Amino acid sequence: MRQRKRSLLFLVGLLGVVVLLGACKKKVAAPPPPPPPPPPPAAPTVTLTAEPSTVEKGGSVALTWTSENATDLDLQPGVGTVQAKGSSTAKPEDSTTYTITAKGPGGTQTASARVTVTIPPPPPPPPPPPPRVATEEELFTQVKDAYFDFDKSDIRPDAQQALTADADFFKAHPEIKFTIEGHCDERGSEEYNLGLGDRRANAAKNLLVNLGVAGDRVSVISYGKTRPVCTDSNEDCWQKNRRAHFVLGSVKK
Amino acid sequence: MSSKHLLIARLLSNRKAARVAFLLLMPPLFLLLGPGQRLTRSQDWFSTGINLGAPKIRLAVSEFPPRSVDQALVSLTGVFNKVLWNDLDNSGIFDVVSKSYYPLKPPQEPEDVVLQNWTDPPVTAQMLVFGHAEVTGSSLVVTARLFDVKNASNPGILAKRFVVMMNEPSTREAAHRFANEIIQTVGGGIPGISLTRVAFTSNRTRHPEIWVTDYDGYGPRPITNFGSISLTPRWSPDNSKLAFTTYILGNPDIFLFSLETNRRIPFPRYKGLTTTPSFAPDRKRIALCSSMSGDPEIYVSDVNGYNLQRLTFSPGVDISPTWNPKTGNEIAFVSDRSGSPQIYIMSADGTNPRRLITGGGDASSPSWSPNGLLVAFNWRVTETGTYDVYVVEIATGRIIQLTHDAGRNEHPTWSPDGRHLAFESTSSGSRQVWTMLADGSNPRQLTFDGENWNPNWSN
Repeated sequence: MRQRKRSLLFLVGLLGVVVLLGACKKKVAAPPPPPPPPPPPAAPTVTLTAEPSTVEKGGSVALTWTSENATDLDLQPGVGTVQAKGSSTAKPEDSTTYTITAKGPGGTQTASARVTVTIPPPPPPPPPPPPRVATEEELFTQVKDAYFDFDKSDIRPDAQQALTADADFFKAHPEIKFTIEGHCDERGSEEYNLGLGDRRANAAKNLLVNLGVAGDRVSVISYGKTRPVCTDSNEDCWQKNRRAHFVLGSVKK
Repeated sequence: MSSKHLLIARLLSNRKAARVAFLLLMPPLFLLLGPGQRLTRSQDWFSTGINLGAPKIRLAVSEFPPRSVDQALVSLTGVFNKVLWNDLDNSGIFDVVSKSYYPLKPPQEPEDVVLQNWTDPPVTAQMLVFGHAEVTGSSLVVTARLFDVKNASNPGILAKRFVVMMNEPSTREAAHRFANEIIQTVGGGIPGISLTRVAFTSNRTRHPEIWVTDYDGYGPRPITNFGSISLTPRWSPDNSKLAFTTYILGNPDIFLFSLETNRRIPFPRYKGLTTTPSFAPDRKRIALCSSMSGDPEIYVSDVNGYNLQRLTFSPGVDISPTWNPKTGNEIAFVSDRSGSPQIYIMSADGTNPRRLITGGGDASSPSWSPNGLLVAFNWRVTETGTYDVYVVEIATGRIIQLTHDAGRNEHPTWSPDGRHLAFESTSSGSRQVWTMLADGSNPRQLTFDGENWNPNWSN
């Protein structure tokens, strides 16, 4: 019984609502319906890929793109206007984000692809210089010339000191073979000076051998006065030229 | 400070040395090298020794006219006249009369010669050279005569005809040959040197190379083009070879070079320094310096460089051997066994070494005169002095100075007639080869390009 009552109440209420609604409705005539609007143009779509996405500096990257509904495609940086679909290669100097912009009646779309450029590892260090080069440098800086008096091939105290240090160097570098050049100043005959230069080189060699340097490592050569290091005509210069000088290598014989 | 003290000490010791040298040297030197340093009558020994003792013959050298106006003939005749004049003027035995005194029209044939025109002042000639040149076929023909214009009845001494190719070298050679004929005929039978050459070292192409030039400086030509260091050229007695020192293989070695084949002749390479080759006059041996013993010593080898015999055994430098070209029995050389380089003589087997000159300073570069009587050398009498050319008479030890006050003058070398010396001198401002008469007169510069030194006169 109660259920029937409730349904009745619901029906009555519904009726009331309907009546009320109808009472509120405007009484104007409805206009003709407008023509349906044209469908909006389709928005462009674009995709861009970079392969590989990581490259060593100097390497190439393939950029590939596809698009739809685009009239104008611009791929930056460095490529410019492109067709709807395509691919291009690039050699990015640094890490680069490539962006393609697709414009069409339906709007603008962009797509990006990032390429990471890695700096190649530094070239392997040059092979360690051969010992010969290193010792040439050392010879140049560490081994001292021996100087002589005019027309003499006797070892002076200062030359003795220099040659003693030289002997230590050569004993510490037993792999080095070297030549002692004997030189003279400009005074006296060319021929006498050839002999004198030979005496000076041999005097220096003999001292080194006495100090423990193996004689078969040491060559001697005289240049007389043909190869001065200094060409002025004064004692300063002459003294520089009266010398036993060391170079690497043996005299060919 | 200490170097300053050293310098002062050295100056003092130099002064002391100079004083000692003065006391030791000056009395004899003063006589020889007196004021003016001119050759005087008291040095007759010397002018005789260098074949310049006889009075000079007053010689007129008339221009040889070309017999046509052919351009090549005119030009080559000019060359002939110039070369002939130069050879005779440089011979040391003639007083060549200036052309400005000659008759205007040069004689061409004997009948053109008016003797009186030449014997009377101002020409006052004793002899006359004349002739002419013409073209015959494609040859230059020079007819050349020497007249004794004092001998009116029979003046003709020489009459020569030279038929040579029409070019400068052939023309020069013809003039040299005629000059040699005149000099040999009139100058005591000693052959002229007009066709001799001088070898020397030149750096005109940057590297020291061996060069050869005619004795008058014409036509210098390279013998080596090694781009290394090449030094000390020496002629073989027959002038077919040059021996010299070169570093081309990395070490100072002696090379022999044939001027006939333009090829190197094998010569052994020895350990150490091998240098200053010198051919014995018999052509069979070579004296040289080698440091194969560890010390520069003098050796004699066969001409092929083998069969070495050691001649010196003294510690110190022994170098620059030069043979007595007359006998082949003695060798002069340089040794510093006394403490500074000095000239010594020894027998060719190494015995009897003795010092040739006494006195201080340093002396080197001995060259033995062709007659065997004299040795030319360079000497710096004191450590602060300069290098000059001297000649010593071996028998007496008498010394005469030939160059004075004109830069460094070194490395004399005798011409084969014994009347000339070539030497190197810095008197022109750079080191160049010069010649002079062996009395020190008539210096002539032979080389001009680059630096040029250590001459050796051919035989």
